[in-house]
Amino acid sequence: MTLTQGTLEPVAPGEAAPDVDLTAAAGVAEVPPEILAQSLGEYFRAYWQKLKGGDSGLLPVLVAMVIVAIAFELITPENAFLRPSNLVYIFELSTVYMVLSMGEIVVLLLGELDLSIGAVALMGGVIAYKLIQTPSPNFPWWAAILVSLLCCGVIGGLQGILVARVRIPAFVVTLGGFLFFTGMIVILLGGADTSLGLDPTNPNQAVLYNLEQGNINVVVSWVATGVVVVILGSITWFRAASRRRSGLVAPPASLAAIRIALMAAAAVAVLAICTVNRGGVFATIQGLPWVIPVVLGILGFWTLLLQQTRYGRYVYAIGGNPEAARRAGVSLPWIRTWSFALCSATAGFAGILLGSFYYGQYSSNVGDPGQLVLYSVAAAVIGGTSLFGGRGKAIHGVLGGLLIGAIAYGVSLMNLGTLSIPLEYILPGAVLLLAVLVDVLSRRGARTGKDAARV
Amino acid sequence: MARIDSDPLTVPVAANSSSDVAGANVDLTAAAGVEEVPPELVAQSMGEYLRVYWRRVRGGDSGVLPVVVGIILVYVAFQIADSKFLGAQNVVNLLEQSSIYMLLAMAEIFALLLGEIDLSTGLVMGLAAVTLAELVQPAGAANCALCPHGLAFPWWLAIIVTLLICMGIGGIQGTMIARFRMPSFIVTLGGLLILEGVSLIVLNGNPVRLGNLQLYDIFWGHFSTMVGWILLAVVVVATGVSWWFRDASRRRRGLVAPPASFTAIKIAAVAVAGVVVVLLCNENRAHFGIIEGVPYLIPIVFAVLFAWTILLQRTRFGRYVYAIGGNPEAARRAGVNLPSIRTWCFVLAALTAGIAGILFASWQVFLTTNIIKSANSYVLLAVAAAVIGGTSLFGGRGKTIHGVLGGIVIGGIYNGLYLLGVQSEWVDVGIALVLLAAGTIDVLSRGGGRPGTT
Repeated sequence: MTLTQGTLEPVAPGEAAPDVDLTAAAGVAEVPPEILAQSLGEYFRAYWQKLKGGDSGLLPVLVAMVIVAIAFELITPENAFLRPSNLVYIFELSTVYMVLSMGEIVVLLLGELDLSIGAVALMGGVIAYKLIQTPSPNFPWWAAILVSLLCCGVIGGLQGILVARVRIPAFVVTLGGFLFFTGMIVILLGGADTSLGLDPTNPNQAVLYNLEQGNINVVVSWVATGVVVVILGSITWFRAASRRRSGLVAPPASLAAIRIALMAAAAVAVLAICTVNRGGVFATIQGLPWVIPVVLGILGFWTLLLQQTRYGRYVYAIGGNPEAARRAGVSLPWIRTWSFALCSATAGFAGILLGSFYYGQYSSNVGDPGQLVLYSVAAAVIGGTSLFGGRGKAIHGVLGGLLIGAIAYGVSLMNLGTLSIPLEYILPGAVLLLAVLVDVLSRRGARTGKDAARV
Repeated sequence: MARIDSDPLTVPVAANSSSDVAGANVDLTAAAGVEEVPPELVAQSMGEYLRVYWRRVRGGDSGVLPVVVGIILVYVAFQIADSKFLGAQNVVNLLEQSSIYMLLAMAEIFALLLGEIDLSTGLVMGLAAVTLAELVQPAGAANCALCPHGLAFPWWLAIIVTLLICMGIGGIQGTMIARFRMPSFIVTLGGLLILEGVSLIVLNGNPVRLGNLQLYDIFWGHFSTMVGWILLAVVVVATGVSWWFRDASRRRRGLVAPPASFTAIKIAAVAVAGVVVVLLCNENRAHFGIIEGVPYLIPIVFAVLFAWTILLQRTRFGRYVYAIGGNPEAARRAGVNLPSIRTWCFVLAALTAGIAGILFASWQVFLTTNIIKSANSYVLLAVAAAVIGGTSLFGGRGKTIHGVLGGIVIGGIYNGLYLLGVQSEWVDVGIALVLLAAGTIDVLSRGGGRPGTT
């Protein structure tokens, strides 16, 4: 179908024709009403209706973030929570959970669960750190990362084969994977007390070191952000305009403008926060941390993969109704295996970030594999991803991870003495329960399909 | 009721009379997807019985056979690798180490039978351990945040209060799962995090010493050699008599029952196993001085096993649990009160985890923040033990004994690899491989693994 030929309104929905049956199989409403909206007022009315219908999207996690930010700002001593240095630190702290969670989400979308990603993440970190050691093997940084992600991808693929082809429950396979690779990390490190270090003065190792610790020069940050905002803005604008010109459904022009403005405002706010000197009196630390564009890059990759490709549509279809997807011709084993592989590769990258967060020192103590998994699942669910499959987006992992990081760091700021460590466990647990309670209660109204209340 | 000797149509009638007895539950059993009468119940001679059993194993319903074979393989392998493995000293050590896995796996089975999961059992155990230690602190000695002056509870009251607290925790989690239908994975994951925090609050950052001799003896104490033999005799006679007379009375009344020879073999096997264990326990296992006798924890584990087996196999509650695990919608239509049964299962799981916690406290003696954090690592091994033992993750299939058998496998691997001087990281690898093998056997024995099935 050529875009330029379609002029009539009814033609528009037909653009998605090859996937109509899949979407229906997944139990998704055909076309969200706000996509059909032709004016701004109509759009907001449609959105409000969707909210009332129980499909609240990102709203709960965003509201929770605002509440958490305000509450901690008010109760922390000297109102320190919203200082630029703290905000940047919270983001750095959360990145590991964000990236892990984005990996976990693709498996959750299938209605499966991967318990091994914490251990696989540490495997990825250890492999990359091993390969970049001097004098040998002294891989260039990109090769070390690539090989590490490849290894993790293969690990995920093997687990995926056991789940998808042999049909052993994912819970058992990945529980076995969790135990197996928890042991393998220590074996690979060469003992529980050994640690691998990076030398920040070695330009090759410094790249890995700077993933969390390095900042982009202030001027370069502004210029690069400007370029990215202009590119993304024009893509948004021109795509909407071209769709309107071809008579396809498209958001109203005013909405596109508002989106671009919001994106620019958010970018300016983040940059303004990051370019304040957060090093204190003795040192100057300012600029956009490298990890922000890196995480946004991964978010972009996953969002594109899940929302814009055939693979992504198949993932949602399987999560919605595997039998229907199979009858529609989707190769279930293939999609499932690839999802586990991609999930583990993403987790491997989170492991590399984890080492950098701990100043380039890798030992078996940098992270507890069990806790990493549980927090990543918690982050996904808090962000709005369903545990029953078929509902979720990569952005949920980013927002959920940020909320968990914000709570953990806010509590540690409060000078609670012996209570602060216990609260770092209790608050994420309580937030998780609250998130699911809201999710379950909001679906109570639904009477049909996957969203209906379970027996 | 048909009499076997007078009725030429022995087998079919026997099957009918059996379903008469179970009449009230026929629909439930059917709902749970269980076959009506296991064929070996209908067998009338030993040879026939074994033939029928073999057919059933080949048909995919292998019961405890894989795990028993697994135990034999693991134990023979370790014995060949190190002849100390099945020595008196190590066997007791092994049973002590396995007891925690056994109890936690028995706890987990309540959730697994429903088709749910309980990730919080490890930390229910951790919280129970610190609570118990804090409750018995003598007046003025405790540094617990909640009870600054030391409560100085007697040991039995401390145990009761601890177990009640655990049941309360299970009740809260169960209510969220059963009434609000929140996924059990998430509720118990959140519960795990909260319990870890609460345990650390109770501990208040300071290690606590379990300064109570009775509580210390729960794990470390043992009977005298004579009491061990008497206890064994009582248990074997009681089991033998009840099994023999139950089967004999069923045969006399013409009900289906295994052949007499099989009952005798079963009783003899129990007696032999008991004698071997008591013999090993009664050997001196101390490096210096004398430590001999059956540890208290063996009867404790067996009492829990016995109680939960009766509860799940012989009561209405147990039948409802299997019915829900098999098909919740069918169970609901048959009139089972799902929220109530589900909540009680989580209460019982937490209670069992609490019993494990009492053993855990008695084992560790010094309770530190690191011990609490390590309690969490037991959960996944408990699930692994239940699955290795033969309990299905999909609900409706499993028995309490599976937890004990799976616990023996996990404990044996841990102990054996440790004995061989293998580093702990390889132990995780070994358990992972066993777990994957158990999962594969589970799937393949049910005829799964066909490509194309969703």
